[in-house]
Amino acid sequence: MRGKAAWTERIVDAGAVPAAFVPAASGGRSDVEEIAGAELVEEERVAVHAVAPGGGPATVSFLDGIQQWAVVGYDGVVPIVRGYVAAAARRRGADRRLRVAREAARELAVAPLALLRAGVRRALEESGAAVIDLGAEAAGQPGRLLVAAQQAVNAERVRVETEVAEAVAARLGAEEWLVVDGLLSESAKLAGHPRALGVIKSHSAQYFEGADLQTALTCPGGTRTSVFRPRGRARHEVYSWYLRLWPWEGNDLLFGLLRIEARAHASTVATATGVSSWLLAERAPLATPDARFDRLLYPIHDVETYLRSRAPRDLLLTAGSRLPKTGT
Amino acid sequence: MIDRASPASPPVGRVVATELKPATPYQFHFWTAQETTVGIGAIVRVEEQSKANGEAGRVVFGVVTDAFAYSDLATPLHDVIGAEGDPARAAEAPTVRQEIRLWTAAVLRQIPEEPLQPVPLGRVLVASDADVAQALRMDAYLTGAAPTGIPIGLYTSGGLESPVYLDADFLLGPEAAHLNISGVSGLATKTSAVEFLLASIFQHFPVHKGKIAAVCFNVKGPDLCFLDQAGTLSDEDRRRYERLGVAPRAFERVRYYAPFKADGVNLNTLRTHPDLAPTVEPLVWGLAEVLDYAEVLLNRDDIDAKADAFIDFLSDRVLNRDFEDGFGGTHRVQSFADLDRLFRAIIGGLEDAGRSDMWRTHHIATIRKVRNRLSNISTRCKGLVADDGQSSDLPWGAFADRTAYIVDLANVDPLGQDLVFARVVSKLREHLERRDLGVEAVVVFVDELNKYAPADGPDTYVKKMLLDISERGRYLGLVLFAAEQFRSQVHRRVVGNAGTQVFGRMDMDELATPGYQVLSPATKIKLATLPIGELMIRHPHFTQPIFVRFPRPAVLRGRDGVERFPPAADLPFAEAVVRQLVRLDRGVRPNLVKDLIADRDEVDVRRALAAVRRARPDDVTAYLRKALGSRVAVDAPRARPVVPPLNPISEEPY
Repeated sequence: MRGKAAWTERIVDAGAVPAAFVPAASGGRSDVEEIAGAELVEEERVAVHAVAPGGGPATVSFLDGIQQWAVVGYDGVVPIVRGYVAAAARRRGADRRLRVAREAARELAVAPLALLRAGVRRALEESGAAVIDLGAEAAGQPGRLLVAAQQAVNAERVRVETEVAEAVAARLGAEEWLVVDGLLSESAKLAGHPRALGVIKSHSAQYFEGADLQTALTCPGGTRTSVFRPRGRARHEVYSWYLRLWPWEGNDLLFGLLRIEARAHASTVATATGVSSWLLAERAPLATPDARFDRLLYPIHDVETYLRSRAPRDLLLTAGSRLPKTGT
Repeated sequence: MIDRASPASPPVGRVVATELKPATPYQFHFWTAQETTVGIGAIVRVEEQSKANGEAGRVVFGVVTDAFAYSDLATPLHDVIGAEGDPARAAEAPTVRQEIRLWTAAVLRQIPEEPLQPVPLGRVLVASDADVAQALRMDAYLTGAAPTGIPIGLYTSGGLESPVYLDADFLLGPEAAHLNISGVSGLATKTSAVEFLLASIFQHFPVHKGKIAAVCFNVKGPDLCFLDQAGTLSDEDRRRYERLGVAPRAFERVRYYAPFKADGVNLNTLRTHPDLAPTVEPLVWGLAEVLDYAEVLLNRDDIDAKADAFIDFLSDRVLNRDFEDGFGGTHRVQSFADLDRLFRAIIGGLEDAGRSDMWRTHHIATIRKVRNRLSNISTRCKGLVADDGQSSDLPWGAFADRTAYIVDLANVDPLGQDLVFARVVSKLREHLERRDLGVEAVVVFVDELNKYAPADGPDTYVKKMLLDISERGRYLGLVLFAAEQFRSQVHRRVVGNAGTQVFGRMDMDELATPGYQVLSPATKIKLATLPIGELMIRHPHFTQPIFVRFPRPAVLRGRDGVERFPPAADLPFAEAVVRQLVRLDRGVRPNLVKDLIADRDEVDVRRALAAVRRARPDDVTAYLRKALGSRVAVDAPRARPVVPPLNPISEEPY
């Protein structure tokens, strides 16, 4: 990575102190916790519908993104963060193998530029990396700046994902579908696409309460809930429903539970069982060794593996000692 | 011929190295797409990226020795869970798991060779013709003023067919020599491989290295009986011949030798069809030829100083001399019959005298033992060993360039086979040492080597001789091409001294023996399933074994030959004599010959026939008449080195 070597070393030459710290929260995104609410569009009360695994469309593209970041230097107490975001869509055709349809990656330099000394700031601005200015509001303890840096990198990842997803969606074949890991409602184009689906694995947002909540979150393996329209912070209107891939009894309540997002259209209600049917079939192959295998579709896992294999190795979070590891 | 103008092919893989599977100077790993032409035995080229200063990167050639495939499945149980226990559903999964084709390759050559470094993590390409030549270091002996390449077969991989050459200096001496070929019967095509290689040697042996001939012992069936007859070849075979630069034709100069059957007139060979029989020379030896190799006839228990001394005594003091037996008789021993008369006189004389068990310092038991063994050979090898002392032999001193001499011993008693082998090879050695054989190098082809040089068992004369050839033959130009089913059952020094080693399809039990530990499991599996016509070659220039495919020999196979030229039934005595004479002179009148021999003893006729054969007169019938009329003159006694007595004054010569 000549670019990385260039700008991280240049800021050190300009007076910054080199650092190598990969925060624990740098590898993924956090779900927004909120009580959102929902409006049922299929039935009066949340109901459970049996779904049998079935065949899906011949061609499906799967999209996922990754983000990685690390503190690479300090100018005084101001952390300078190097970030990396990438997204890819991999298309599965008749041979059932996944191949890259589109991808994008971006190297980021994140810091509050106003708080940096002139030399360090100039080195950063001339680095060639996309510089994200955090602003001077979070000045003080480095921890506050790190939270802001994480949010900035996260936003950039969403932006790259959206770019790739919209580009792929625009070129989808007549029978081709796009499955996005995460919210569909981030993009108007995706939210309105008739053959785009969002697959959400985390369930911090609450859409029901009381008996409906219990029905939704305790639906058995191989079932889906009624279709509903989420409310709350969704930017663009979509329809959604829960789908249980694996029985949760004996595990956790959320084990195997997905929330699906699709276009807010009457046809979505009509096709919800069919779509659920082929998503249920995506349980195999199992997305192990990922700990989220119960909710992680194998093709999404494959995209993530692909992106990680191409990401800078020095930004990976290493557990335990930060001394060089040996394989023996 | 090597095609040096092949266009560069796109990369098929990339070298990978981890701490657990690092690249080393001798081995590396690379991955390819799942659909690839790479397989076990494929030769690949690794290219390091050019350096920042524009200097070309390192180039490494390797041969694939092992292969791995695995998916991202953490444990087989996860596949069961994903398919809910139903194997049929596992195959229906909407996505195919990511898989890898990971290959292990052994380094053949690095350029530059120094400093020797680990294989770079570069791109991997399928080797071209020129790459194969470079990888196998063939460029050293295929180019220059005096090339020494001998085509052995085609390296085939992914549609590429590259000729592979052996270095004559390392196959036929003097740098290294000998070839050993192993493989299971029927599937390893050992004999076919040797036939093709001999044809290749005869066509490509460099002129500057002199003349070469081959002596082949046919020890089973009709294997080598039709080398001078053209066989049928497929278009594919013809294309391979063309690619190798070898003309697909039968051997132009072949001479066949076979002993007689017990009747002394019909040849003991399957090449007795009337169209071919005239080309077979009889192989007949007399007492003198046998006594020189008497050690071959004695088993380990027999070899004692006393018997040895008595045989030497017979050779030096008795054979072809006028000899008094001490009991009033005078003998001139020239044949087994003469020798037996002498034995009878000695033993009878001792028994009649009853005074002692000793005769000329030799005990009667020793005399009986030697008599028993020598009589035994004339009985068991009747037809090879003539009672009458006449011999018909290979053309010692007149061997011709690029000529195959086939000695057919397929139906000869094993003792006789040993005797023929020992004598022929010893004579070859003698003449090569004196540089008067007629050629500078001789390839000796021996099948069933495990019989002649077993890994265990007694140290026989033949085994000692094979060891001697394998260790010192290359200096003389005496080259051993040997074949056997199980290499592990052959003496280590004999196979170990073979500079070139060839393997056809192998038996798995054999591959489990320690001699094959250097081969990877995948290479062993390939060897155990090798198709007919494919061989694995080890040669001093090749740092790793290489698989090649050779075309079917352009000669008539033994079985086909027997069908096309069915062996003739044994002829009656008179007819057989006529045929022998007609072979020497087509103008011989059969009826006249039959009249001449009608009232004669068969022994006399055989003796006369041998005389005619030896003299090859212009008028065969007249010579036969003359030979029948009187005792045929014997050869002049051969001069033998004699050690003078220590005390020349003494009258007692013993």
